[in-house]
Amino acid sequence: MDKGPLRLSESEYRVIERAADKGFRRGSISEASKILGIEEQALHSIFRLLESKGLARVIVEEESRIQLTSRGEEALTKGLPEERLVGLLRGRREASIDYVRRELGREAGIAIGLLRREGLVVVERGIVRLVDEDRALERVSRTRLSLEKARRGEAIEAEEASTLKSRGLVREEKIRRYLVEFTMDPRDIKSRAVVEVGKLNSSLLREGRWRNIVLRRYDVKAEPPRVLPARTHFLAEFIELLRDIMRELGFKEVQGPLVELELFNFDVLFQAQDHPAREIHDTLRVKEGLAGDLGKYGDLAERVSRIHERGWRYKWDPRVASRLILRSQTTAVTARFLHTRPDPPVRAFTIDRVFRYDPVGPTRLPEFHQLDGIEGDYDYSFRDLLGILSNIAERLGLQVKFKPAYFPFTEPSVEGYVRFPGGRWVELFGAGIFRPEVTEALGVDYTVGAWGMGVERLALAFYGLSDIRVLYTQDIDFIRSFRVVV
Amino acid sequence: MPVIRVGIERLVRLTGLRGEELEDVLFRLKCETETVEGEIAIEVNPDRPDMFIGEGIARAVKGLLGIEKGWKPPKAEDSGITIRAGRVPSRPFIAGLVVYDAGVDEEFLIELIQFQEKLHEGMGRNRRKIAIGLHDLDKLPSTSITYEASGLETVFKPLGYGEEMSGREILERTEQGLKYGRISLEGNTHPFLYSGGEVIAMPPVINSDITRVEPGTRSLFIDVTGTDLGLVLQVTDLLASTLSERRGAWIGKVAISGVPGVAETPLLKTRKMRLSTRYVSRLIGSELGAEQCIDLLGRARFNAGLAGGDSLIVEVPPFRVDIIGEADLVEDIAMMIGYDRLEPSKERPIMRGELLAETLVSRRLRKLLVGLGFTETMQLILSNPRVADSLGFRNYIEVSNPVQAEYSIVRPSIIVSLLSTLIKGQHSTKPVKIFEIGKVAYLDEGRVKEDLRLGVAYLDDEVSYEDIQAPIYAILRLLGVRYSVEEWSRPPLLSGRASMIVSGEAIIGWMGEVDPGALEALGIEYPVAVAEISVPRLSSSPKT
Repeated sequence: MDKGPLRLSESEYRVIERAADKGFRRGSISEASKILGIEEQALHSIFRLLESKGLARVIVEEESRIQLTSRGEEALTKGLPEERLVGLLRGRREASIDYVRRELGREAGIAIGLLRREGLVVVERGIVRLVDEDRALERVSRTRLSLEKARRGEAIEAEEASTLKSRGLVREEKIRRYLVEFTMDPRDIKSRAVVEVGKLNSSLLREGRWRNIVLRRYDVKAEPPRVLPARTHFLAEFIELLRDIMRELGFKEVQGPLVELELFNFDVLFQAQDHPAREIHDTLRVKEGLAGDLGKYGDLAERVSRIHERGWRYKWDPRVASRLILRSQTTAVTARFLHTRPDPPVRAFTIDRVFRYDPVGPTRLPEFHQLDGIEGDYDYSFRDLLGILSNIAERLGLQVKFKPAYFPFTEPSVEGYVRFPGGRWVELFGAGIFRPEVTEALGVDYTVGAWGMGVERLALAFYGLSDIRVLYTQDIDFIRSFRVVV
Repeated sequence: MPVIRVGIERLVRLTGLRGEELEDVLFRLKCETETVEGEIAIEVNPDRPDMFIGEGIARAVKGLLGIEKGWKPPKAEDSGITIRAGRVPSRPFIAGLVVYDAGVDEEFLIELIQFQEKLHEGMGRNRRKIAIGLHDLDKLPSTSITYEASGLETVFKPLGYGEEMSGREILERTEQGLKYGRISLEGNTHPFLYSGGEVIAMPPVINSDITRVEPGTRSLFIDVTGTDLGLVLQVTDLLASTLSERRGAWIGKVAISGVPGVAETPLLKTRKMRLSTRYVSRLIGSELGAEQCIDLLGRARFNAGLAGGDSLIVEVPPFRVDIIGEADLVEDIAMMIGYDRLEPSKERPIMRGELLAETLVSRRLRKLLVGLGFTETMQLILSNPRVADSLGFRNYIEVSNPVQAEYSIVRPSIIVSLLSTLIKGQHSTKPVKIFEIGKVAYLDEGRVKEDLRLGVAYLDDEVSYEDIQAPIYAILRLLGVRYSVEEWSRPPLLSGRASMIVSGEAIIGWMGEVDPGALEALGIEYPVAVAEISVPRLSSSPKT
C-alpha cells in the first residue's frame, strides 16, 4: 500500500488517535464504542467513512434468534395444551371428549390434534385414550424445554423452532451485529494522517492546530444557497435621487398637508369654482362633517374672492374654498409656501403624494407622487424656466423639448417632453409662469415660474417597467431581488 | 382634454400642409396629434375653443405660418330674423346668428356637431351655462322667433325620434332628456323656442326635427341660450367669427328683444388691451422690439399697433375667449416665436439647496434599518378600512367619493400599510422584516392631524416582543435619543407584550406583538411584532 499522507476529517482523526492509544484493532461496534469513548451511532458513520478510504472494514453479521411470544410465555406458565391433556389422561388413561373439552376449553382441539398426529392418543367413539404415556411425557417435556431455552435466548433445534413458530409460541428475530476492523495498524494511520477541515474555526486558530490541518478543497463552481439582502425600496431610491438633484440645483425642500383646503388646491391657483377638475369625478373629498377653516386665511380669501369675481364673473363662495379634499396637485404645497411671502430669489420644491379619482390599473393609481418646484424673482423669465427644466432633464440623462400648453394657473404655459435614449417622447413636465392673478392672490410681487412632474411614470421608464402597480408591490422578495440600476 | 377629429384631406385642404409638417405646426399651437384611418385626432387645449373645428385650426395655422395676419370681421348684414325672449327664469338669456352659405356637406356636418358638443362640455359646463341649437335657416317656419317657458305638455317632433312627443315624454324617454332634462326644468315648465307657432327647440335638451340640419343645408340659424349673458354673447361671437371662416360664408345679424342691453347679435366684439413691450421682453427673457411684437401678435391673429412709448394697443378678436390679461398675450408671442427657438437660460444665481430635517432623518433611519436586516416597502396612503378596523384603528379619515372600497380611507398609521403588505408578503423568505416611512393622517378631536411615521414589522415562525424591541433600541441609542419605555397597550397590540416609547414629555412611538385575533382576521398565519415612531418627534426629542 501507498505510504503517502492520509487525508482524514477531524472526527476520523479522533477515532484513529484513540484506537492507536488504546490499542484497538478489531471488535464489535459496541466494544469499540466503549473503548474509544465515542457514541455508537457516530462511530458507525465514521467507520463507514474510514472504510471508503480503505482504512477500515465494517463487517455485518446477521444472526437470527428465537424469542418467546406472549402466547409462548402464557403456555409456559399455564402449561402447554398437550401437556395439560397428558396430565388429564395420566393415571386413568382415557376420558370422554366432552370431559376433555370441559377441562381444557378452547385448547382441547389443539391438544388432541397434536398428540393424535404423533400417534400418542387415539379418539374412538367419543373417548380419548392415551397410547403411550412415557413417550407422551417425553414429547411434552421436550417442547417445554425448547420454550424455556427460547426464553433464555438460547438456540433451539431448527425443526422444533419452525413447529413452535407455526404455533405462534415463538418468533424469529434477525439481529445485525457490526464488527469493525482497521485494515492497518491505527498507529501507522495516525503517523501518516493529515487532518482535513471543512471550515477554519476559532479553536483551530486559538490552539494553533491550524498548522496540522488541511482545508478541504471546495467545488468552487457549485451553486451556493441563494440569499437576498435587506434593501431600500427602488421607488424610494428614485425619489431620493430626485431630491438630491433638486438640492444640487439650489432648491429648498418644503412640505404641506395631504388633507388640503380647496382654497390652496384650486382657488389660489385661479381655478374657477365650477371648473370641471373640481367635480367629484376628479377630486377625492373628505367625508362630510369635516369642514376646513378659512379663518387663518382671511386676507388671502378676500383677495381670491376679488380676483375670481373679476376674472371669471361669478359669485365666489367661501364654503367651496373651505371644503377639505385630498390634494390633487403638489402645487398646493408650493402655493402655501409662497403664501409665507419668502424674500426673492426663491427656489423651493416638494416631492409628495397627490390623489385623483382613478381606479387602480396598470397605468393609473388613485394616488401617486408629484415633484413640484417654483423659482421666483423680480427678473425671472420664461427662458429661465425653460433653463431649469433643461437642467433637471439633463441631470436625469434625458433629452428635452418644449410644447406650448394650457394650465389654468400659468401663462405662458409649457409642457416638457423627454426622451430616454432610444425611446419615444413622453410628456414629463407641466410648467409655466404663475399668472398675475395667482401671485397677486398669494401676495407676492415678483414673477414665479412653477412646474410639476409625475414621479411614478418617470420611475417606470427609469427602471424599464411598464405596470405602475409594481411600484407598490406587496411581494417583499420582489423588492429584495430587484435589479440594481446604477 | 378635448380631442377633435378632422378628416385628413379636409385639414390638408384648409391649411395647405400635410404629414409631419402639419403635425409640427400643430405641436407649436399646443396640439398633440394622432393619425387614425383617414382622420387626424387633435388634442386641443381647453382654453382654445376657437380651435375645436377645422376652420378655426386652419386660421391659427395660417397665422403661425405668416400666410394671414391679424383679423378682419366677416361680412355681416341684417338677416331679418327676430328673437323675442319672454320670461324664462331657469335659463333667461338667448342670442342668435345666421351663417349664410355655410354649404353643409357630410364632413362639415360631423365637425359642426363635434364643435357644438365640445363647446357644450367645456364652456357650457355640460349645457348648464350655455347650449347651442343648430337649425337649417331655410326650414324655419317664420323669421319671427320667440323664446319662452312653456308647460311640459307642449308637443313636437324631437330631432332623431321620428314621432311627436310631449315635453314630459322627452324628459322621461329620450337619452338627451334623461341627461339634460333637469338643467332648466322649473316645476312643470321648460324653455322652448318657437318659430311661427311651431316648436323648433327645447333648449338645452333637444331640437325639433323640422329645422334639421343635413348635408345640403345651405345656411344656418343658430340659437345660444344660457344662464350667463356674458357667456351667451361670447359663444355667439365665437360661433360667428369661427364659422364665417368657412369659404364663402358670411354672417346674418339677428334682432333680439327682451334681453336687457342686447338689441342684436352677434356683436362681433373685439377688446382693446394695452401691452408693454418691456413687460413682454422681461417675461419671455428676450429683448423684443415693438415692430417684432406687432408682427408676432399679427401671426397670433391679433391686430396690434403702436400706442406711444413702449406701449402697444392690441385688439383681441372675439374668438379668443382665453385672453384675460397681458400674460396671455405674452404666451401667444412666445408661441409665435416658437418654444424651440427660445434658448433655455441657465444664468440664475447660485443658491444653497436644502432638504427638510425630516428627509435627512428618514434617510438615516433607512440606512440603519437596512443594516438591521429590514427591507423597505411602500404602499398607498389610501387604505382599506377593513384592515384598519381589524387592527382596531377608529380615528381614520374617510373619503366621501372613493373609487374603490379598498382605497377609501387615509391610513391613520403605517401599521395599516405594513400589515396589508404582510397579508401577501407573509409567504416571502422568513424572517420577513420590513419597514415603511410615510405620511399618515387621522382625526384628533374632530381635527385632522398629519404626521410622518416610521413603521417596522417583524414576521417569522416565532416572534416575540424582543424581536422588535432590540432593533428599535438600537436605533434610538444610535440616534442618541433619551428615551424610556412604559408598559402600555392599545389595539392591535397584545397587553403585557407592548410598550410606548417616551422621550422628554412626548410619546414618540409604540411597539409590541400584534394580537393573534387581529392576525387571524387579516389571514396572517405567522406571529408579527410591530413598532411605529413619529419621525418629527424623534428628531426633536432630547438627545444624550
